[in-house]
Amino acid sequence: MSEYVLELKGITKIFPGVKALNNVQFQLKPGEVHALMGENGAGKSTFIKVITGVHKAEEGEMFLNGQKVDFKGPKDAQAAGIAAVYQHPTSYPHLTVAENIFMGHEIVKNRMIQWKTMNAEANKLLQQLDADFDATAEMGTLSVAQQQMVEIAKAMSTNARIIILDEPTAALTKSESEKLYTLVDKLREEGVSIIFISHRFEDMYRLASRVTVFRDSQYIGTYDVDGITNADLIKAMVGREINDLFPKPDVKPGKEMLRVEHLSRTGYFKDVSFSVRAGEIIGLTGLVGAGRTETVEAVCGITRPDSGKVYLEGKEIHVKQPSDAMDLGIILLPEDRQKEGLIMSWGLGRNVTLPTISKYAKNGINNEKKERELSKELLEEVDTKAVDIFQPASSLSGGNQQKVVVAKALSQEMKVVIMDEPTKGVDVGAKAEIYAIMGDLAKKGYAIILISSEMPEILGMADRIVVMCNGRKTGELSREEATQERILELAMEKSTGKGAAK
Amino acid sequence: MKQKSLMKRITGSREALLAIVLIVLFVIVTAISPSFLTPKSLMDMLKNNAVMMVMALGMLCVMLVGGIDISIMSTLALSGMAIGMMLKYDVIANPVLAFVIAIAIGIACGFVVGLVISRADVPPIIATMGFMYIYRAMGYLISNGGEWASAAALGSFKDFATTNLLGINCVIWVIVVCYAFFFWFMKWTRTGRKIYAVGSNAEAAEVSGINVKNIKLLVYVIMGLLSGLGGALQVSVYASAMPDMQYGGEMDVIAACVIGGVSMNGGRGTVLGALLGSLILATIARALPLIPFFNQLWLNTIKGVIILAVVIINIVLQRAADRNALKGREM
Amino acid sequence: MAGKSGRSINNVPESSVKRMIFSWEGILVLIFIAVNIFCALFSEFYNLSSLLRQMPVYLAEVFLMLTMAYILVLGEIDISVGSIVCLSATMCCIVCNTNAPFIVVVLTALIVGTICGAINGFILSKFQELPPMIVTLATQIIFRGIAEIVLGSGGSISVTNTDGFRMIGGKVGEVPYILFLVLILAVIFAVILGKSTFGRRVYAIGTNRLTAYYSGIHVQKIRMIIYTVMGTISGLCALFLVSSSYGANTTTGNGFEMDAIAMAVFGGISSTGGKGNLAGGVISAFIIVCLRVGLGQRNVHAQVILLIIGVLLVAAVALPNIIGQVKRAVQVKNK
Repeated sequence: MSEYVLELKGITKIFPGVKALNNVQFQLKPGEVHALMGENGAGKSTFIKVITGVHKAEEGEMFLNGQKVDFKGPKDAQAAGIAAVYQHPTSYPHLTVAENIFMGHEIVKNRMIQWKTMNAEANKLLQQLDADFDATAEMGTLSVAQQQMVEIAKAMSTNARIIILDEPTAALTKSESEKLYTLVDKLREEGVSIIFISHRFEDMYRLASRVTVFRDSQYIGTYDVDGITNADLIKAMVGREINDLFPKPDVKPGKEMLRVEHLSRTGYFKDVSFSVRAGEIIGLTGLVGAGRTETVEAVCGITRPDSGKVYLEGKEIHVKQPSDAMDLGIILLPEDRQKEGLIMSWGLGRNVTLPTISKYAKNGINNEKKERELSKELLEEVDTKAVDIFQPASSLSGGNQQKVVVAKALSQEMKVVIMDEPTKGVDVGAKAEIYAIMGDLAKKGYAIILISSEMPEILGMADRIVVMCNGRKTGELSREEATQERILELAMEKSTGKGAAK
Repeated sequence: MKQKSLMKRITGSREALLAIVLIVLFVIVTAISPSFLTPKSLMDMLKNNAVMMVMALGMLCVMLVGGIDISIMSTLALSGMAIGMMLKYDVIANPVLAFVIAIAIGIACGFVVGLVISRADVPPIIATMGFMYIYRAMGYLISNGGEWASAAALGSFKDFATTNLLGINCVIWVIVVCYAFFFWFMKWTRTGRKIYAVGSNAEAAEVSGINVKNIKLLVYVIMGLLSGLGGALQVSVYASAMPDMQYGGEMDVIAACVIGGVSMNGGRGTVLGALLGSLILATIARALPLIPFFNQLWLNTIKGVIILAVVIINIVLQRAADRNALKGREM
Repeated sequence: MAGKSGRSINNVPESSVKRMIFSWEGILVLIFIAVNIFCALFSEFYNLSSLLRQMPVYLAEVFLMLTMAYILVLGEIDISVGSIVCLSATMCCIVCNTNAPFIVVVLTALIVGTICGAINGFILSKFQELPPMIVTLATQIIFRGIAEIVLGSGGSISVTNTDGFRMIGGKVGEVPYILFLVLILAVIFAVILGKSTFGRRVYAIGTNRLTAYYSGIHVQKIRMIIYTVMGTISGLCALFLVSSSYGANTTTGNGFEMDAIAMAVFGGISSTGGKGNLAGGVISAFIIVCLRVGLGQRNVHAQVILLIIGVLLVAAVALPNIIGQVKRAVQVKNK
C-alpha cells in the first residue's frame, strides 16, 4: 500500500499553442483535505480535468493507491472512485434531483430504470447531507447551493474515494459556506480524500491540512497549512511581492455627479440610495447576490427600476435603455467582459469603437480610418499589451481584455464611470495596472463607482463604501471608519438562515 | 395543504392542462356534431392522422436534443415512393417486406442527416433543409419523373389499412405499439434518459461520459425510422404513392410537438405531451368542417394561430411565474 | 496615464488583395465561371441573350436573399417569406382585378408584405425569448392560410388586365428591368451591411447580442426593422413573380425561403450569425440563377435543380467544418 491515494508525476498537457501544464506533480494522502491554489490561468482546472479523465495528458504518470492508471475518459475515472464537483454545477436543469445524482450509473434491472429505488436511494443520500429538498424536485428550481449539494450527493453515490471540489464556495453565502465546511468534515471522517480548489484563504485555513500551489502552468510547492503565512502563500502564487498595489490618488471630491434615491426593483433590490461626486471613488460591496450589479444596471438602463429617482448633476434623469445612459455620460463596464463587455471574436479596434461608431460616421457610412486612429490611441493610452488592433479580443489575457473594456469606455464622453468587478479573473500584475487607470480617471475628475467583492480592493481604492445585503443598502462607511470586519458585518446582516434560496 | 399541492400539480403540469383542453374540444365538437364521438369516427380520425402521430414521436426526440428536422416528409415520400414503385413493378409483393424496406430506407436517410449534423456540425435547420430538397428530388427521380403508384398497382399492400385486428384497425395498432414503446423507451431506459440529458445540458452529458455525438446521431436515425414507417403507412392508408405526398406536412408534426409542450431549446417534452398535442391538432382538423362559417380552407390559418398562441402564452405565463417568484423574495 | 510602456499598437490593415483572391468570394467567382462554361457546353441555347430572357423568373428570389442575409447575420431565420410572397401576390392580383390604377397594385403588394414582416418583427421583439424559427413557422402557416381563404376553393387567381405587370416585366434593349433593380438593390444592401453603422451593429448583434445591448445598440429596434424590410422585399418579389405568371395560387412562393437561405449560406453567410457578406451572397445567387437557366433549357426537371441546391447547401456548410476538423486532428498528431 502506497503512502498516497493519488499521485501524479511529471504531468504535461499541451493545447494548440499553449502548454497548459508543464511537468506538474501532486500527492494526495488518504483522508486529507488538500487545497490547490494559484492564480486564474495557473492550470488548476486543466489539472483537475486530467485527473478526472476529461483531458489526456501528453506526458506524465498517474498512480492510484500506488498502481499506475491510464484513464481513457471520464467514465474510467468515475469507475476508479474519483468524482469532481465543478465550479458551475454541471447539472441537468430539466431533470429531477434523483436523475441528476444517478446520471451515468442509473439503477437498472432487466434494462429498466428502477425509479422507485433510485428516488429512495437519492433521498437517503440527501438526508445524510441535511438537504431541505426532495429527490423528485426538478434541478432547475433549486438554488446554486442546493444544486451543489446534489453534485456532492452524486459524488457520494458513486462511492467516490477521492472528491474534487472546484471553487465550491464561490457562489455561496456565508451560512451556506459553513454548511459546506461541515459537509467536507463529515466526508473526511468517512475516509474520503478531498482536493479543494479555492481563491478564498478562509476556505483553505478552515479545511485543508496541506496546500499545493501552481503558477504559470508549473508546480511551485506543497506546504503544510499550519506552517505557512498569508504573505508567503501570496508570494508563491504571484511570484513576487506586490508593493503599492493600490495607488489611490488624493483627489478632493468636487460637486455631486450622480445621486440615486430610493431605487427599487422587485425581487432584486429595494430602496437603495447613494451618491457619488466628481473625482470620488465609491465602493459598492456586499456578498454575491446582494443586488449590487442589478442596482447599477438599473441606473444604466440595462433593466428598468420599478420606483425611485436618479439625478445627474442635480437634474432628474429618465434612463430607458443603455444608449440613454451613455448619451448622458454614465458608462458601465460590465461584470462579465466576455459575455457583456466585448465581442471576443472581433478585433480590438472594432470593440473599442462599437458604442461610438455613429459619431465618426458620415451619412451612416463608417469612417474606418478615423476608427483605426482613435482605437489605436485609446488602446495605447491604457497600455494594452497587444500587437495589432485587428487581433481578436479572445487572444488577450483577462487583464488586457479589461483594458480594452476601459478603452471602449474612454471612447465615449464620460461623467460617471461604473466598474463592475473590474479585476475579476485578472492576475495580480494586471490588477495593479487597472487600479492605476482607475486612479487616473478619478484624478481627471470622473465620478467612479467600483463594485467589488474583494475586500482589499474596496478598502484600498474607495473614498466611501456602500454596503449592500440581500437587496438593501445596509450601511455606508467612510474610508477612515471602514475595516474588513465592519464591512463583513454589514454585508451579512440578514443573510443567516435560509440564504438566497429561490 | 395536500389538496393545494394536488391543485398545483394539475395546473402546473402541462400534460394535465392539455388533457383538459382536449376534453373541452371533444365536448364542444360532440355538441355540434353528435356523430363525432362514435368509435368509428374516432378511429377514422386516428387512422387519418396516423402518419403525423407516429412521426411526432421522432420529432419529440429530435427536439429534445435541441434540434429540428424539416426533411422528414421528403424521407417519407422517398421511402413511400420506393415501395410504391417496387409493388407497382412487382419487384416485391409481400406487404411485410414493403414495410421493412420503407423503414430501412428511412433509417438510411436519417443516418445520413444525423451524420451531417453530429459529425460535420451543420446546424440542424440548414442540414435538414438541404436534405428536404435532396430526398424529395430522389423521390421524384425513382418515380420516373412524377409517376404515381395507384391503388390497383399496390395489390394486397393497401389492405393493411383496411384490415382489423381484434376489432381495431391495423394502422391504429401501429400507433398504439409505437406510443407504448416510446413511453417505455423514453422513461425507463438509459438511452431514453440520455436523450433528455443531452438536451438538458450537452456539456454536462459529455463530462459524465455520454457520447453526445452518438445520441444526436441516434435521434435522427429514430426520426428517419419513423419517417420510413410513416411512408409505408401513408401509402397504405391513402392507397397510392406519389412523389409530392405530405408536402409541407413536417409543419404539422412540429406543431403537434410544440402544442404538446416540447421545447424548441431542448430538454423539455414528454411522450404524453406529443400524444396530446397531435390529438388536439387532429381533433381541430376533424372538427373544423363541422363548424358553420369556418371551412376546410381555414384549417391552416387556425393551426398557425394556435401554434403562435401556445408559444406566446407559454412565455407570458413564464414571465408571470418569474415575477411572482421575485415578489416572494424577501428583502 | 498615457502608455507607460510606450508600446505601439499597429493599426495599418494588411493589404487585402491577397486575402480577396483566397477568400470564399474568390472561390465563388471561379465556381460562377465554371458553372457558365458547364451550362454553355450542356445546352446549345445557352448564351447571353437567352440568359437575359429567361432569368427574370429566377431573379425574383434574389431579392429575398438580400434581406435574408441580414437575418442570417443576426443569427436568426425567417421561414415565412415564401408565404408572405404568396399573400402579397394574391392581394395585389385581387386589387389589380378591381381595375385599380397600377400604382395602387404595386403599393398593395409592398404594404401587404410590409405588414406581414412587421407582424413577425413585432412578435419577435416583444417576446425576445421566442426562437425566430418557431414564430416564423407559425406565421408561415398563417400567411399562406390567409391566402388560401382569400383565394377560396379554386385556389388560384389570374390577372385580367396585364398591362401594368407587362410594363414592369419590360426591358431596356435586352436587359430586363428586374436585373437592374436586383443589381441596384444588391449594391445598396451590400453597402449598408458592409460599410454602414447599421450594418456594423447587425454584425455585433449576430456575434454577441448581450455585448451589443450593453454597448447601447437598440437590438430590438434593429430586429424589428430587418424583419419588416424582409416583408417589404417579399412584396417586391411577389410583384415581379406576378409579372411573369400573371396570376397567383396557393403554392406561389413555396420553398422560396429555402432558396433564399440556400443562396445566402452557399455565399458564405453563416446561419449561426455574425459572419459573411453580401458580395458572396450575390455571386452565389447568380450561380444558382445561371444553373437554373442552363439546366432548364435542356428540360432538366426542376427537382434535379433542387437536388443540386440541396447538395450545395449542405456541402457549403459541412465541408469547411470537416476540413477544419481534419486540420485540427493533424495538428494535434504532429504535436
